[in-house]
Amino acid sequence: MKKLQRRTILKGIAAAPILLAQGRVWAASGVPTMPSEVDLAKAKAEGKLTLYTSLDSKIVDSIIGAFKAKYGITVEYFRGGSADVTSKVLAEADAGRIQADMVDASDLAALLVMKDRGLLLAKQSDATAAIAANLRDPDGTWMADRLTQGVIQYNTKEFGGEKAPKTWKDLTSPAMKGRLAFFSSANGDGAPRLYTLAKHLGWELLETLAANKPIRVATPQLVTQLLESGERGAAFATNDNIAWRSKLNGKPTDYVNPPEGVPTEPGAVGLIKRAAHPHAAFLFHEFWMGKDAQGLLVNGGKYSSRSDVMPPTGSPPLSSLKLLTLDYAEYKRDRQAILRRMTDVFGGEWGI
Amino acid sequence: MTRPLQASLHHRSRWDGSTIVFCFSIGLLLLIVGYPLLWLLMSAFGIPGEFELGYIAHVYTRSQNLAPLVNTLILAFGSAIISVAFGVPLAWATARSDVPLRRTIQALVAVAYITPPYLTAIAYIILLGPDAGYFNRALQELTGATRGPFDIFSMGGVIFVVGMHVFPFTYFMTHSALRSVDVSYEEAARLLGARRWGVLLRVNLPLVAPAITGGALLSAIDSMALFGPQAFLGLPAQITFLPTRIYGIIGSYPPRWAEASALSLTLVLLTACGLMLQRAYLEGHSHATVGGRGLRLENIRLGRWKWLLLAFCLGVVFLSALAPVGVLAIAAFSRSWISGIAATNFTLSNFSEALFNNQIAVRGILNSFRLAAAAGLCAVVVGATVAYVDLRTQAKGRRFLDYLAILPLGLPGTVMAVGVLLAFIRPPFAIYGTIWILLIAYVARFVPLATRSANATLRQIDPSLEEAARIAGASRLAALWRILLPMTLPGMAVAFLLVFIPALSELSATILLYSGGTETIAVAIFRLNDLGQIEVVAALAVFTITVTLLVSLPLNWLSNRGRTVPTGAVSKS
Repeated sequence: MKKLQRRTILKGIAAAPILLAQGRVWAASGVPTMPSEVDLAKAKAEGKLTLYTSLDSKIVDSIIGAFKAKYGITVEYFRGGSADVTSKVLAEADAGRIQADMVDASDLAALLVMKDRGLLLAKQSDATAAIAANLRDPDGTWMADRLTQGVIQYNTKEFGGEKAPKTWKDLTSPAMKGRLAFFSSANGDGAPRLYTLAKHLGWELLETLAANKPIRVATPQLVTQLLESGERGAAFATNDNIAWRSKLNGKPTDYVNPPEGVPTEPGAVGLIKRAAHPHAAFLFHEFWMGKDAQGLLVNGGKYSSRSDVMPPTGSPPLSSLKLLTLDYAEYKRDRQAILRRMTDVFGGEWGI
Repeated sequence: MTRPLQASLHHRSRWDGSTIVFCFSIGLLLLIVGYPLLWLLMSAFGIPGEFELGYIAHVYTRSQNLAPLVNTLILAFGSAIISVAFGVPLAWATARSDVPLRRTIQALVAVAYITPPYLTAIAYIILLGPDAGYFNRALQELTGATRGPFDIFSMGGVIFVVGMHVFPFTYFMTHSALRSVDVSYEEAARLLGARRWGVLLRVNLPLVAPAITGGALLSAIDSMALFGPQAFLGLPAQITFLPTRIYGIIGSYPPRWAEASALSLTLVLLTACGLMLQRAYLEGHSHATVGGRGLRLENIRLGRWKWLLLAFCLGVVFLSALAPVGVLAIAAFSRSWISGIAATNFTLSNFSEALFNNQIAVRGILNSFRLAAAAGLCAVVVGATVAYVDLRTQAKGRRFLDYLAILPLGLPGTVMAVGVLLAFIRPPFAIYGTIWILLIAYVARFVPLATRSANATLRQIDPSLEEAARIAGASRLAALWRILLPMTLPGMAVAFLLVFIPALSELSATILLYSGGTETIAVAIFRLNDLGQIEVVAALAVFTITVTLLVSLPLNWLSNRGRTVPTGAVSKS
């Protein structure tokens, strides 16, 4: 008991200077918490902002290009998997110096963790009205910006016509042995959608898929590359937008939303509470969530979270799909156990 | 020198500018090497938190940690075997036989060593990807098989690629031993009637055995410390090694510091054991017969055999240098690497993307050059100071200082990064998230190279020259500046380049320490590869290899001016 107290005090002493320093910066800058408080002159004076994102860089480039053209403000970004983004933010928070002004990750649980740590700014947004209530935080610290479905993608030369896989079950057949691919980087960022599959369709599905010896790469972009080159024949739970782009570019691939249900993964965005560029960041947040930028997102093959933005060209409306969803508060709570189970099923490194 | 004079010299020198440089360098060394290691040790035993002596053992009760340990040992063993199998025949061929193209072969072995191993790994994905790799597709067409025979995403694949990078250790050590063997032993054996192969096996081999063993051990140690090939080739095959495991633990959220530290400490212990083994072995097998009398060396005529040996040598340098670099060049100029060489597939756009348009790549190149230059300068200042204090003063604790400056040689980049992270993520030195943390990691990692090089340079200069200047009334600073510095400049330039080159393409520490805005070339390559932009990655790779080779040229030239380059350089990735 005595030891515990001493440690708490020591921690407090250690943390005090950082908190003080940060508090000063924060108080001095007058952080906006609603769109009307954003000062365009101040935003331009800040001149730039830093975004941490797990979104495909081609989409990010198009959005920040449009933002720069409109406001003359530069967006520098760090791009990694959602766990990369999250571990960087958390580590930087430990160091008392978060580089990011805005965070975007395809793992909602990650934003919940950041919210728990008190890192995210509670704010109002003009986009709120266009976003379904279950896709945003009632406290206003995060809101979903996009929805990604974990589809089946396949090489049409190897699995053309009749042989094309249509259901999850098709992938469990012995013909698929050694022909499958999926993704997750070493820190387990592919786990949420796989867990969504397991939760709705049973862990046996994952176990039989694992028995077909799938190759695992770090990202959906690499999955697509394996399929385009014919290195592997089919992939499970890979990003629909990446599969969509591959097909659009005339590569020998196609993809399908299986009728048993397809995992849907909301990506979400939030502002860092003690950001170095609060006005520029808020301005960018509103731009990012606005109809124009969301249109650019859709051009990149993503589904927008806004109800007033159409799906990507040639993609089915989400209402026509059986969507499998995840309770992210529950996922955040059970994450360690889930990652452990992924390690048991697939082997390899899941960061657990 | 008389006592009063010595005393007066010491008196005069007590507080001049050089003292400040000395204190600064020593403080810096303690801060960037000692302080992170202290944190690593504490963290491995559960501090801050509950102190637990057996934490390391506890960590290995988890199969997720035990398997990487076993895999790492298998990798070390496998690459040591490859290293000997390739390094020794090549060394003998180029040192003692009349095989043609000996200089070319030696130069290509150097290229194999200097190419960052993660680039070799990417090249081998293009060459030996199980279905789409160039080699595999060629073999498929030849044999009519539906699948290529090789799978680079496997333990064998990792061992092969790592072996291709580390075999130069064995090669260079064996080569120099063979060049200095006393030929009279061979002649004696010949006179006594031994045949050519008998001489080779029963005279030459035992004489150079310590060099071979030393090379094999260095290869094993280096292979355990690498990160790139393990990440690029091991992760897709679900094979985890200690460095990639540590990366996974820290890259996940929340980061588990204690577990990562415990695994790091194990990796240090493994490397330290290897280094001690090597040292003990070399000391126990004194090669008294290997003297400097290499004068009467004559190359052995092999007759027809030489073509067979040449084929083997060319095969090895093709696999380790020509094929990887060549295939990266092909991909760099291709619209799509899958399509191979064709006029319609040719483009320069990958280079414009890599060097001008891609935000992260451009920033990465700038950061890498700045960091490598700054790290080179800092390491040279620190290294030269340590060498000076060690050789020219009687300061207390100078042995410890020297040891501290050499210590990082046994620390894998991943381990160094974990220590630096732990130390510099919190007050009073909270610099995580800035470029300074990368600079610290680079200086700490590569300061041994600068120290050894500076030490070797300083040893060649007689102290009497400085003493003469001091007696003539110059201050210590002036003696350093006007006498020692000009004389040691070429040696210091070598030390600078020895740090600059590996720092330019450092991956294993950087990947744990960079943040938004502080990306380097290696990070850009790692991230762009994740995004499947292999052609742009190849363009960046070609750029990096070209710069590295260009920078290495003066290194050769400077070293040939009688300055020694320390052997046992640590791996770059």
